[in-house]
Amino acid sequence: MSIERANRIEQEAADWLARRDSASWSDNEQQAFDNWLQASSLNRAEYLRMEHVWEESLRLKALGAGLTSNRPPPAGRWIFSALMSPRTQFPSRPQMLSSIRFRVAAAATILLIAAGAYISAVGIYERGRYSTPVGKVTRIAIADGSHIILNTDSLIRVSLTAKARAVELRRGEAFFEVAKDPLRPFVVTAGSQRVIAVGTEFSVRREGSDAEIVVTEGKVRVEAGGPGSPIPPESLPAGSVAHAGQSGMLVKTEAVAMAEERLSWRNGVLIFHEATLADAAMKFNRFTSHKIVIRDPKVAEMRISGTFKATNSEAFVRLLEHGYPVHAEVTGGETVLESH
Amino acid sequence: MDDPLETWFKREVLSQEGALLRYLFRVWPRRDEVTDLRQETYARVLEAAASSRPAQPRAFLFAIARNLMADRIRRERVVSIEAVGDIDELHVLIEEVTPERSNIARQELKRLAAAFDLLPPKCRDVMWLRRVQEKSQKEVATEMGIKETTVEKHVSKAVRLLAKYMLGDSSSGEQTQSTEIAQEGNEHRTRQ
Repeated sequence: MSIERANRIEQEAADWLARRDSASWSDNEQQAFDNWLQASSLNRAEYLRMEHVWEESLRLKALGAGLTSNRPPPAGRWIFSALMSPRTQFPSRPQMLSSIRFRVAAAATILLIAAGAYISAVGIYERGRYSTPVGKVTRIAIADGSHIILNTDSLIRVSLTAKARAVELRRGEAFFEVAKDPLRPFVVTAGSQRVIAVGTEFSVRREGSDAEIVVTEGKVRVEAGGPGSPIPPESLPAGSVAHAGQSGMLVKTEAVAMAEERLSWRNGVLIFHEATLADAAMKFNRFTSHKIVIRDPKVAEMRISGTFKATNSEAFVRLLEHGYPVHAEVTGGETVLESH
Repeated sequence: MDDPLETWFKREVLSQEGALLRYLFRVWPRRDEVTDLRQETYARVLEAAASSRPAQPRAFLFAIARNLMADRIRRERVVSIEAVGDIDELHVLIEEVTPERSNIARQELKRLAAAFDLLPPKCRDVMWLRRVQEKSQKEVATEMGIKETTVEKHVSKAVRLLAKYMLGDSSSGEQTQSTEIAQEGNEHRTRQ
């Protein structure tokens, strides 16, 4: 306990935050950061303090309403106009397409994969149907030693045969911990998307005929548009977040730890990093029949960070009312958020 | 049902930092140790609240700070009990004050704006581009014609200063605060 230690911890916490915010954040750095956090509650508390301030600083946007200049207004001048106006404006955010590699099909490659497996299959080891109601997350063990975690309001059909392992995601989202079996690839179908793994961990979320895929371990192959599609199949390593649809696939690569965070629903929590309220509300709404409704575009574009219990959207709404220029109106079976 | 620990800590504990610092400055004789006391109080609160959240966070926070000081007095024997003043002052009733919600939000915005205006000019420009214009650190570097590592240093400095200005108290002890801020400003200018 010393003054030097206190200053050092404060400095380190701020440095970690700035480092995490930079473009080059590697798995090694994540490891070092985790070690630093684990080393002492002093570190953890001080980091939370910096993170809180960083998150709060995003509300500068509310004060900078309508100011699109690249330079901040002179100190003291700009505050009043923004605070005095009854409605705070949130300028819309430019699309961050630069950070995403956008890939569209080029060659017309037709692949016939594993289709024959179903026909020649002899012994059926398991054929089952699993579902979760709204608000529940369930972990299922299937016959080949794999595990599946079903998110809220999801439905899958599992078919294990001597030569193939097939899961059809009919609705919702599922995370797969696939047992190694090189002779029987593990194939997940979601709409017209197919995701193929041997032994690995990944999640698939169905969105109509499209699918969102997050890979946290090993590699999976994705056939966007399903077999026979002109889009060439693509191999995704751990840390990939992909959106596969009819016209192609968008792939984003993140540190594995960040990809893991997207799957925090497995533990019943939702983690947001500067997510729009529209996005956050959509994620909460999957866990409850009492929906959060946002019609006000200003509210939809506000951003939030934090960790929340997935089933406790009331607490989330209370927090918003507390810290944002947002008013919640409960009418019938829904909560409507409006700016004030 | 409890909130996650981190969310709870940010909302219930960090919001009391101003009051906590005022309290520590009042009762602890060595002012330069207050940051250390504050950090250790937070660490203890975080550990103690991990299993279940206290019903009265503010009272809980102050009780932990009080125990910590008592521990140090016992262990170090450097600080005399007299120096800490009447021990009963440590037991002063901490009321759970909850101002109206809309007021809190507005006050927090004002405080954020005021804190932002106190940042050194370069830090302020970096934070504006990064948080209001939502440019990446790399884009900020290009925009300002400085190195990416310099942007990162500005972010680190900005967040540290903002924590001090926003969470620390602005209503009392204004004298000492503005002096410190002036010093920081000078320091920054001379380095440029």
